[in-house]
Amino acid sequence: MSLVKKMTWAGAVAGLALAAWSQAASAQSAAETAVKAAQQYKGTTINIVWEAGLQSLDPKNFSGPLWEKLTGIHVNVVEVQTAEMFTKIMQEYRAGTGAYDALNVIPAWMPDLAQAGALEPLDSYVEKYGYAGELDKIAPIYRDNQMKVNGKIYGFPDDGDVFVMYYRKDIFDDAKNKEEFKAKTGHDLAVPKTWAEFDEVGQFLTDKLQPNTYGAAFFRQPPYTMFMLEERFRNEGGKFFDADTMKATINSDIGVKVLTDMRNENKFMPPGVEQFGFVENLAAFLSGQTAMTISWPPYGRWAASYGTDEEAMNWVPKSTIAGKVGYALPPGGHPELAAGFALSVASTSKNKEAAYLFIQWLNSEEISSQRVKLPTALRDPFRTSHFTDPGYLALWPDAKDYLKTLQDAADTGLLDLSLLQTDKYEEVLRQSISKLWAGEDPKAILDKAAADWDAITAEIGVDKQKAVYADWASKSGAYPK
Amino acid sequence: MTVTTIDSATASRAPDRNFKYWVIAPAIFLLLLVGLFPLVYSLIISFQHLTMTEADTSFVGLKNYAHLFVDTRLWESLLHTVIITVIALPLELVFGMAMAQLFLERMPGRQIFVSLLMLPVVISPIVAGATWRLLLDNRYGPINQIIGWFAGHPMTLLWNVNPNLVYPAIIFCEIWQWTPFMFLILLAALSNVDKSLTEAAEIDGAGYWRVFFKIVLPSIWPVMAIALLIRGLDLVRIFDIIWSLTAGGPGTMTETISIYTYVQGFSQFETSYTAAIAFLVIALLTVIVTWAIRRMGLAK
Repeated sequence: MSLVKKMTWAGAVAGLALAAWSQAASAQSAAETAVKAAQQYKGTTINIVWEAGLQSLDPKNFSGPLWEKLTGIHVNVVEVQTAEMFTKIMQEYRAGTGAYDALNVIPAWMPDLAQAGALEPLDSYVEKYGYAGELDKIAPIYRDNQMKVNGKIYGFPDDGDVFVMYYRKDIFDDAKNKEEFKAKTGHDLAVPKTWAEFDEVGQFLTDKLQPNTYGAAFFRQPPYTMFMLEERFRNEGGKFFDADTMKATINSDIGVKVLTDMRNENKFMPPGVEQFGFVENLAAFLSGQTAMTISWPPYGRWAASYGTDEEAMNWVPKSTIAGKVGYALPPGGHPELAAGFALSVASTSKNKEAAYLFIQWLNSEEISSQRVKLPTALRDPFRTSHFTDPGYLALWPDAKDYLKTLQDAADTGLLDLSLLQTDKYEEVLRQSISKLWAGEDPKAILDKAAADWDAITAEIGVDKQKAVYADWASKSGAYPK
Repeated sequence: MTVTTIDSATASRAPDRNFKYWVIAPAIFLLLLVGLFPLVYSLIISFQHLTMTEADTSFVGLKNYAHLFVDTRLWESLLHTVIITVIALPLELVFGMAMAQLFLERMPGRQIFVSLLMLPVVISPIVAGATWRLLLDNRYGPINQIIGWFAGHPMTLLWNVNPNLVYPAIIFCEIWQWTPFMFLILLAALSNVDKSLTEAAEIDGAGYWRVFFKIVLPSIWPVMAIALLIRGLDLVRIFDIIWSLTAGGPGTMTETISIYTYVQGFSQFETSYTAAIAFLVIALLTVIVTWAIRRMGLAK
């Protein structure tokens, strides 16, 4: 056999072997691929930044130990309060010690972190480990909007945070309530679809049921209300900036109306609602003190008493309303995809490959579907398959309605404002809300906020920020379509 | 003979004098390293433009310092700091003095009461702030409930939201925590006042206030001045209690210079500008402390 023939045969055999390996690889799930590839890093430790508290019980009690069992890689969870996560990540990046390998990143921070160089671009890893297929199955609103900066992948959307309206079905179905509401307003008592309807229903229920039950309550502490303001402002037709000049337009008539209405609504909410945070609002709803509220998805699970008998959940007030809770989109129909988390790799990591494989495994169809069902964790459904997962649908009697509402919310949700130095803009919003509860004039508050935003934009550079805003505004979830 | 003896003694001590410098040199070096180096480094940074996204270390001259003069939020935060200081400091002094006078006399259980009164001082200010936040909470805190009992109806007092209540809340917490410190120092000072002088004055017909202002106060003044200086400086850098209670709100109404500096430095990553703020504060404090030390006669 000539040398040419031998080489031809050898090439053919090698080609067949490669094809067979590829076939085998493609037959593997993303989770299996990650585990297999990660086994070569057995004995190493990866440090992952995770929100302190309940969130971190996922990697501490479930995913971390399981990953170690499968790969021999130890996962060290660095718990950080959400408010300090950005600071810690940036500080570590500037120090360059490589203390963090994998990160939880709020998608609105992604442009800042990516442009600073703190995040590792993930495209080459996705290609290398064949993750594109499963990545594509993340619900479109998250996949298309919370993954890339300037066309590069910097994080895997990993938490379907979205605001949902929770209401008391028993109160809305009560024949006497219906009758009295009809007599008073001339129309049927129904779950409000607009803010005008919300005000009418909320006031009616408070007038009728207080002091035992109030029409509604929301969390009003500025860090939470900031998301509600962003949502409501856009649902009412507001735009944050003039796209041509990059001048802030938050002080428009729409903005003033929204702030004015928000403050007026406090009058039919429980006394002292201005101090309500996540837990206070939760306690009020679960104890039956309020008929409507808007919050993140865990409220729905806890209201149904799912997982609240776990020891780690003993701080969650016992639900007195299990089986009586309905789920709906908030008024306006376009809920805020408030905060959320994406999984990223730190650019300064010394174990990038292992860190990547861990987040691919966490984010995969197989593992994520288990993580979103953990009663103690706060990861919410974010993959299309999660919304129809039979295991999830069976968790409590109304889980089907719950997941349907979450899916609807994901389909129509609005992204958090995300620009360069987003936190500076958000800080202005937080202060504005704080001034609103203190009694300042809404118009004056928003004029000051707009002036502050303009000053921040000027400092960053109008053209630079304009380009980032244009990119953000072009996304499907930036403004209601 | 005598001269010779001294010379030889001096000569024999000379190596000792150099040796002591060598002995303390490591400590001096360490102090310079941890004290002076950061100061110099901060000064250098204050002339650069380091931000969250900008790691460029080229010099920008006095840009950051010029911005200090047009930064209204900075001057407002300084004003808030001054307001808290000028209200809280005299109140702590007056209450501390009153308590010290009360406990000056021997009484049963005095030691126990003094120990109990010192408890707030040993609590971390951030914990004290968080505790008071809970106590003042409208939904779960007992304070509004107690006020409601007296008022005869439930009271909704939003201590960390209502602009009329936030300063009283902060100042009350501050006084609660630090008056015992003032009390302890003044109690020690009052205990050392020469009783023969006060008794002689009283025999001569001097009244309580005359004795207090003419004899007691001059006697304790050096100690009191130090206590005022320490507490005054503490109040200028007040952070924890306010951060826990209001985080500087509503808006920026209770934002002090320490909180503003923290926000600029660690929330907004305006690293160079934060360094400039720090040097402004150092300059202002140096002037004020120098003036205060002279005024109080502590430099004598």
